[in-house]
Order: sequence, then structure tokens, then C-alpha cells
Amino acid sequence: MFQKILIANRGEIAVRIIRACRDLKISPVAVYSETDAAALHVRMSDAAYCIGPSASLESYLNIPSIIEAAKRSGAEAIHPGYGFLAENAEFARSVTSAGLVFIGPTPEAMEVMGSKISARRAAIDAGTTVVPGTTEALRSYDEARELAAKFGYPIMLKAAAGGGGKGMRQVAAANELRSAFEAAQSESQSAFGNSDLYLEKLLEKPRHIEIQVFADTDGNYVHLGERECSIQRRHQKVIEECPSPINDPDLRQRMGEAAIKIAKSVNYVGAGTVEFLFSDASRDFYFLEMNTRLQVEHPVTELVTGFDLVREQINVAAGEPLSFTQGDVRWNGHAIECRVYAEDPDNRFFPSPGTITFLRVPAGAGIRDDSGVTAGDEVSIYYDPMISKLAAWGPTREEAINRLRRALDEYAVGGIKTTLPFFREIVRDEEFIAARLDTGFISRFNERRKERPHPAGGTQASNLEQDIAVIAAALAYADQQSGLRTNHQPQQSSKWKMAGRTAAINQTILARETRKR
Amino acid sequence: MKLHASITDFNADVELRREGERVIATIGDFEYDLQLHKSCAGQFLLISKGQVFDCRVDGQPASGATLEVTVGTNPYAVTLIDQKRLRGADSAGTHADGAARIIAPMPGRVVRVLVEAGAEVEAGAGIVVVEAMKMQNELKSPKAGVVTALNVQVGSTVNGGDVLAIVE
Repeated sequence: MFQKILIANRGEIAVRIIRACRDLKISPVAVYSETDAAALHVRMSDAAYCIGPSASLESYLNIPSIIEAAKRSGAEAIHPGYGFLAENAEFARSVTSAGLVFIGPTPEAMEVMGSKISARRAAIDAGTTVVPGTTEALRSYDEARELAAKFGYPIMLKAAAGGGGKGMRQVAAANELRSAFEAAQSESQSAFGNSDLYLEKLLEKPRHIEIQVFADTDGNYVHLGERECSIQRRHQKVIEECPSPINDPDLRQRMGEAAIKIAKSVNYVGAGTVEFLFSDASRDFYFLEMNTRLQVEHPVTELVTGFDLVREQINVAAGEPLSFTQGDVRWNGHAIECRVYAEDPDNRFFPSPGTITFLRVPAGAGIRDDSGVTAGDEVSIYYDPMISKLAAWGPTREEAINRLRRALDEYAVGGIKTTLPFFREIVRDEEFIAARLDTGFISRFNERRKERPHPAGGTQASNLEQDIAVIAAALAYADQQSGLRTNHQPQQSSKWKMAGRTAAINQTILARETRKR
Repeated sequence: MKLHASITDFNADVELRREGERVIATIGDFEYDLQLHKSCAGQFLLISKGQVFDCRVDGQPASGATLEVTVGTNPYAVTLIDQKRLRGADSAGTHADGAARIIAPMPGRVVRVLVEAGAEVEAGAGIVVVEAMKMQNELKSPKAGVVTALNVQVGSTVNGGDVLAIVE
């Protein structure tokens, strides 16, 4: 087993891998950009190396710098996490040729699956149906226009190198194609350094269901069942569940076998995920892509199967066989995860960078929070705005939802906007509770949300709370004023003096207006 | 202390008196007698007739500034006006001329400029694409009109609140 592992990542996933290292008595080594010098993943590791400036291209994507840090640290292996270099075959090769172990699949498997176009061909060869569309890169806008007309709108334009919803556009009609094509190309070039696009027919109301697979170097292949990730916004998953509310053992077995066949066809090693679109009407599933890495949403599988996927990844990379066989895999209860983003749900989900001034993390029965931040940390503009993943487990889906709702209400983050309020509404949504899920869920939810009164919309029940809010604000203002008087903060006090401040703080003056109720 | 508060759809004067941990507040016709417990900055635990209100105030308190107040899990945007602070304040920032300002919602980098100054645009037309946190966001014109100002070019770094373009 390894003595020391370098984690070529940041944020919650670096923290998650550090925890697995600690469990295995392996010494974790962190890398960080200049912005991240005091980040949680650095504080939790035994050794840490700066690998460059804040921009990820110069740090977390800087292969020579990361390899050099690994050599200096004496680490024997590198865990790439997800994102950044996790699916970069060149990085995997550089790690191996530096005499280190890459914790992940072979570069050859990554290359086949890394291009969504060759992945589609591999899936077809392995006997799986794929979403109708092109199996070659689009050569031009004109070709895209011809093929889109042939398959029929609506279509999806996707980056061949894509992931995380980047470089992806849904196109409803021909007149939207040009701007979508250019935007997807530009976004893909900037995110992946490759602007190849392909085209798929858009399936009506599909579910997004993926199968977790695992393989070791002895050629053992298992699947850990499915995750339902239908709740997506901008083609990015926001809520994931294990198992799918469909919970059909026969379907699980068929999809699991198909996923294993695809993994075998590229001699896959380690943790991987085969994504499918699923049609409720026909109960058919279509191969979408394979992710050759640990997934963001792996905790829900861990909660339900009881296995530690990162620990298993490290074992397999060290040449050990999987600790379990297919027959050992049991699915116990239900788990649901929310991705908590530093984004403002009331302002079109724009990222909300800033300093986290307050943080209260939920706990208690069935709750797991995988976070990469603590109070006082800065959420910077340089990286993905996900700050944590909140997961709840319960013996049934209903109990998992009850625990998730409780935990979401306990969760408090100050200083930045987060998607927590959005999730609090989703777990109370009838359609969600009834598990009527497909990839159009969020847009329908947003429609329902518009019709609902805003929590602060002035109903009788909330008048009291509104008044309390006003009182809290006034108290904060009063504190600020008395702080200014007693501390004599130089830059501010002069301003106040200019304004002619004379009034004392805790003084009573009569109200002039009455509020309208 | 007396302040004028506006929140969502109502305005009212607030009157506040503190006696140790006791807060007596009058808002409009309503009077509240509350217990106040403070922990760290911005955290106010208020108890009214046994009912618990766990409050957090985000933002820099100042007359005219909007504070984000969270009561339990519910957010409220509260703007306080201190009558003693009105001198020197002006009404800059309000524009009744019907011009639409395309404002950067957050810091980022301009990756594309989709129109030229002087161009006529329809409502919903893309004006500028800003990239931040790896996502590209197309900022659209909320109204039809003429682009009378275009303050950025491709590669410009922008701050949240910057006016990128004006459509009149």
C-alpha cells in the first residue's frame, strides 16, 4: 500500500480524498494555487505545495508543476479527483512516466471515452443503443444545419470533449442553431481546449440514470447499481438519488450488465460511471457517455451500498483486488444529495463569490455533508462555485426526504448567496416528493415556483417575521453606529462626522408612519 | 433609535429601545417586547413571547444600504433610512429616462460582444457574453432600442455592477 498520496485537486473532493487517505493511514499531500494557500484542503493535509497562480490553467491544470510537487513530496501515487486533470490522458501518462501511480483508469480507456464521439462508437460496438445522432465531429455550421434538419428539431449540440454541462446547447429550432453553435464552440474551446461538437436528437422527457462500475487489475468487474440524476439545471446535475425512485431490480441488472460490457470493452480499471438516458414510456435506455473518474455524486452510492469508493480506488491502484464481489453488493435504503453552490437562486443563479462570514453545517441521523470550505473562506471567481454536497440517507425515500429537509433548514451560510433556499423549496415540492422526475423537472419546477407566493410576500403569517427582520436589521445598524462611536474607526468616522452625526443610539423617537398591512 | 425601513412591499418607521437584553421595538402600530441574545457579529437571536427567531444580518449596515436578513431560513431584504443621515444623500442611481443598463451581475471577463454601438436591438437580443467561474452568461437587452453606449470590449475584466452597455 502507498505511504503518501498527492491529491491533484481542491475544494470538497480534495477534502474527501484526504479523509480516505487518513482512514488508510496514508499521508495526504495537497497542492494549491496562490488563491488557495489557506484553503481547507491545505489545512487538512500533511504537506502542501504551491503549483502556480490562481487561474486553473496555470495551477490545477499545470501538469509539470503537479508532477514536480509529487516528486518533491515523495508521494507514490496521484489522485486526480474529478474535473481539472481527472480525465486527461496526457496527465495520466506523465504521472506514469514519472514513476508514479495514477489513481484511475488507463490513458487508453480515458481517450476512447474522453471523446464523446468515440465513446458512442465504443458503446455501439459493445451492443448498447445510443441516443440517435452523429458519430463524427461536425465539420461546419452548414453541416450542423443539414444534420439537425435530418434528425429533426429539437436537438442537442454537445462538445466532444464535454462534461459538466459546458459546451452544451439545446436547440429548439433552426433559427437558434447558429448562435448556439458558436456559443458551444467557444465555450468548449475555452473549457477544454477543443471545439469539436456533435449533435444528438433531443429525447422527450428522459430520465438521466447512471450506473457506477468498478474494476480491478485482476479483471473483476462489478456494478454498484444506479443513481438517478434527472434533476439538472443548465445540463448540470443538482440533485442525485440512489437508487432511482423507479427501483426496478430487473432494470438495474440489465443496465448494470450493459455498463460492465462497455467498461470491459476498454479494459477499464477503477471507478467509472456509465450514463444513460431512460424513457419511462418505452422503458428503454440509451448510452449517453462514460465518465472515467470518480463522480461528484458518489456519496449517494456509498450511503446505500456501504462501500467507500475512494478507498476502493486507492486499493485497486495499489494492485489489490476489489474488496467485494457482485454478489456482496446490497442496496440498503435510499440516499439523496444536493449540490450546494455559491449561486443566487433569486438572480438567475449567477455565481455569488465572496467571503463566507458564517457557516453552520447540519448533522444528525442520516446526514452527510462533504464540504470544502469553512467560515472565513473566500469563494473565488476562479473555480467551480460548488461549496458542498449535502446528502441524506433514510430507510425509505420518504424518510430520506424528511431528513434532507431538516438538514437543509439547519444549514446556514452567511456572506454569500447559495442554492440552499432553492433546495428547501424542491424538497417540499409535490412533484419531487411523488418522484415524477425527468430532465425537464427544473424548468417545470421554476414555473410552479413563479405561481407560489414568495416566502417574504407579505401574507399574514409572515408579517411577524418581516417585522423581526426589520428589527434585526435595525439592531445591526445600531451596533454598527455604536461601534463607530466607541472604536473611532478613522476612515468611517470622518464620514459620519461630515454627515453631522449627533444622535445617541438607544433613544426613543416616535414613529411617524404606520405600515400598510 | 428611530429608522425608516422598507422591505418587499411595505415601508414603515421603526423605533427601537434597548434595556440590556431587552429590546422594545415599535413598527407601525405594533409593539414588540423581545429578548435579545447576540453571539458572533451579525447573529441576533430574538425571542418574542417564547417564540424563537434565529436571525442573521449580512451586509454592511449603513443608512440607505440594503441588508440581507435571514430569519430562520427565510431571507428578507431590508433597507434602512436614518433620517439623521439624509443630509448629503442624493438620488443618484435612479434613472427615469427609460434607458436600460446592461449590468455585469458579477465579476468576470467579457468573452464576446454581440452588438456594435449605435445598433438597433430587439428585446431579448444578446448584448455581451461574460465568463465567470467557467460559465458563459449572455446578457440580454430587456427592451428594444438603440445601443447608445458600449463600455467594454472582448477581454475586458468587469466588476459586478459595472454598466457594460446602455440601450435606449
